[in-house]
Amino acid sequence: MCETRSLMTRLRGHILCGAAALALGTAFQPAFADDGHYGGTLKLLGVSSEGTLDPQINYTARYWPLFIWTHDGLMAFKKVNGPESAEVVPDLAEDMPVLSNDGKTYTFKLRQGIKFSNGKDLTVDDVVASFQRIFKISSPTSGSFYNGIVGADKCLAEAATCTLEGGIVADAATNTITINLVAPDAEFLYKLAVPHASIVPADTVMKDAGNEPIPGTGSYMFESYDPNASLIMVRNPHFQEWSKEAQPKGYVDRIEYTFGGTEEAAVNAILNGQADWMYEPVPTDRLAELSVSNPDQLRVSPLVAWWYAPMNVNIAPFNSLEARQALNYAVDRDALVSIFGGPALATPVCTILPPDMPGHVDRCDYTADPGELWSAPDMDKALALVEASGTKGQKVTVVTDDSVTSRGVGTYLQTVLSDLGYDATVQSISGDIQFTYIQNTNNNVQISVTQWYQDYPAPSNFLNVLFGCDSFTPGSDSSVNMSGICDKGLDDRMKAAMVLGSTDPEAALKEWGDIDYDMMKLAPAVPMFTPKDVDLISTRVGNYEFTSQFHWLVGTAWVQ
Amino acid sequence: MLAAILSRLLRMVVVMFGISVITFLIFFATPSSDPAARIAGKNAAQETIEAVRKDFGLDRPLYVQYGLMMQRLFISQDLTSFANRGQKIIPTVMAAAPATLSLVSGAAVLWMLGGILTGITAAAFRGRWPDKILMGLSMMAVAMPVFWVGEMVNLVTQNRLHDTWAFSWVPALGYTPFSQDPGLWFRSMVFPWLTLAFLYIGLYGRMLRTGIIETYQEDFIRTARAKGLTGRKVLLKHATRSAIIPIVIMFGMDFGVLVGGAAVLTEVVFGINGVGRLTYQALKVLDLPMIMATVLYASFFVVIANAVVDLLCLLIDPRMRRA
Repeated sequence: MCETRSLMTRLRGHILCGAAALALGTAFQPAFADDGHYGGTLKLLGVSSEGTLDPQINYTARYWPLFIWTHDGLMAFKKVNGPESAEVVPDLAEDMPVLSNDGKTYTFKLRQGIKFSNGKDLTVDDVVASFQRIFKISSPTSGSFYNGIVGADKCLAEAATCTLEGGIVADAATNTITINLVAPDAEFLYKLAVPHASIVPADTVMKDAGNEPIPGTGSYMFESYDPNASLIMVRNPHFQEWSKEAQPKGYVDRIEYTFGGTEEAAVNAILNGQADWMYEPVPTDRLAELSVSNPDQLRVSPLVAWWYAPMNVNIAPFNSLEARQALNYAVDRDALVSIFGGPALATPVCTILPPDMPGHVDRCDYTADPGELWSAPDMDKALALVEASGTKGQKVTVVTDDSVTSRGVGTYLQTVLSDLGYDATVQSISGDIQFTYIQNTNNNVQISVTQWYQDYPAPSNFLNVLFGCDSFTPGSDSSVNMSGICDKGLDDRMKAAMVLGSTDPEAALKEWGDIDYDMMKLAPAVPMFTPKDVDLISTRVGNYEFTSQFHWLVGTAWVQ
Repeated sequence: MLAAILSRLLRMVVVMFGISVITFLIFFATPSSDPAARIAGKNAAQETIEAVRKDFGLDRPLYVQYGLMMQRLFISQDLTSFANRGQKIIPTVMAAAPATLSLVSGAAVLWMLGGILTGITAAAFRGRWPDKILMGLSMMAVAMPVFWVGEMVNLVTQNRLHDTWAFSWVPALGYTPFSQDPGLWFRSMVFPWLTLAFLYIGLYGRMLRTGIIETYQEDFIRTARAKGLTGRKVLLKHATRSAIIPIVIMFGMDFGVLVGGAAVLTEVVFGINGVGRLTYQALKVLDLPMIMATVLYASFFVVIANAVVDLLCLLIDPRMRRA
């Protein structure tokens, strides 16, 4: 127990020290010293491309970190290193919005003098059209992020005629935008800062733009995109820096993202100086070697994410609370951390909210010595619970995806389930099918291994999205509440906490911490560990900065 | 002749129709492949999924969807991908084809030359040490999986010895079109060619050796010998000519299949974005339009290659013309 705790403290100490040193380093650097770093080409590698280039549709961790450099929303996450990057700052809006009408009305003043990459001026009409476009093109989050805007219900029902009348009001004379919500939403500014709320020209095609780049206001623009070959970004010729925090001028002149090959080949290319960075995780078998041979080219950063095993509360054996709790007691998180690559790459967890998520409280019941942190499995308690549940001997199938780690975790869970007296097997299916497969109740998945990464730093993004009643739709491939849990009491508390957040954020965060704890009492899932991000970069990359929201900031890195 | 061509064309259409129907049905029978949910994105609201379903015509009966897909694939040719919306299928396959064609044609030249040389040499020295060495090597070539050989080649040329005089000329992995830089095209293809050809040299060499040795038992060889022909003439003009027929047939099959996408492992290992990798990526993300196009493309090449091989056999072996 002590070892885990001291290790965590040490790790945290390291990260903080690192951040402080970095902050000091940049603070004392004379401004002119940076000028020499502008220019050059940054070469990124990816095994595959990942869909449309439309920032209002693409919902992938691969392209979001690029869209924040080509497009802006009214708000933006701070483009700075470390924890501060979770704060939102005004981007295309001049200032933070003025809230009125009990937190239901947001008034933004639009910055003037900003041009799109096609040379056109940004106007309030573009803002209105962009919000309508979210619905007209059926953006994936139109029904989950932006459904609180007045008029959104009509837009969701009939996308083609969407106007958001009364929801988004523009006043060209004063250059202001007023957004009216149906109810207060503490997370609304975050939702305005993700790429789906990018402001695009009003005359943008009202369907998925696909491979055709859409003009944006960011520091860069897309020059060309061929999903089977490459994605090229160049400087936006009309860009003038208006806020270093929101949209700084990038260092490199050109970013080339090449698709193809294997992870192995990408590692070699970076070591040979033929490329600067790869999107895919470094293969675990190469990590050990690299941590000895090229430690200065590896960057390890904390993520706000979790690996977890959702248990289906509607079918046997996990419709029994005791059975679910038993597995939570029995799983050795340290063993799982080793499967993932060791304590440097992951931390055991016991709660739904990851350690760096606001609202997270260190509290753990499912451990040998209940207290703040997980220490060791309690097999005796687990066996007693299984006995009490009357589910012993039942068949259980763990559904994993086909990645090495996921299969490893699944096989480990299989041994634990067997030790508990179940007849356990592992079924591993292609990673691209697994995520939808485990959501659909028609597939009768009992327990699966999966991950969730934050969309924005709000506790509801984990608790409400993954365990709320609204996220459970039987028979649908889009039912991200994989446990199928719908606890009326907790659901009401989550909805109340979301409202409370807009008036009293502190109290709301405390309530989220309590909801987390109470949800875990129902044990709809086994929290396993929080992964860390490992980036391998070439020797010429300088000023590596990492944000928990969009990971590596490609624009603030330099290559010369 | 015309009847033969027509019957072949008809057979091709029937084969391709059958394959497309099977592909289509397998796709919709795959659990959790609902294209609407995939297109709509992670955690999309049910309203959004329904809107997408309607928009893409995925709410219509399967036979209508099949008909529409075939119409958009062959007639209007504007079929777009489900995964990379806006990516037109036919131009993408056409853009990937030259990479695969470069890889497979270059390797085919190498493996036909290498295979024939190996087979003839081994047969000529039957039972003696060149035969034993060559057969040992070819057994190794057949036994080693191509992706492993490729990774080992990369390990040497791109990693361990990349900075030495021996391999510093090897460019970074990937494909450069011939039209863009012929020199770079050639340099980047050398090791992919060798890797892909390696297996087939072993395979063809062994087949040809056995074929020649079997042919030596035939009456016409005895006759040729009795006429007083030299050993070399008997081997090259009579035995090899007859023994090469199965090799040519096999070559047609292999070439067709590889051009159609079966060189995927070599393509992926060497970062060549060809048809094989396209198929593989499409299968991974369940991109039905792309799967359909690449599968039909592959079957087309197999059928065509078979037809060409039949013609070649007629040229090589006069006995076949009579049949």
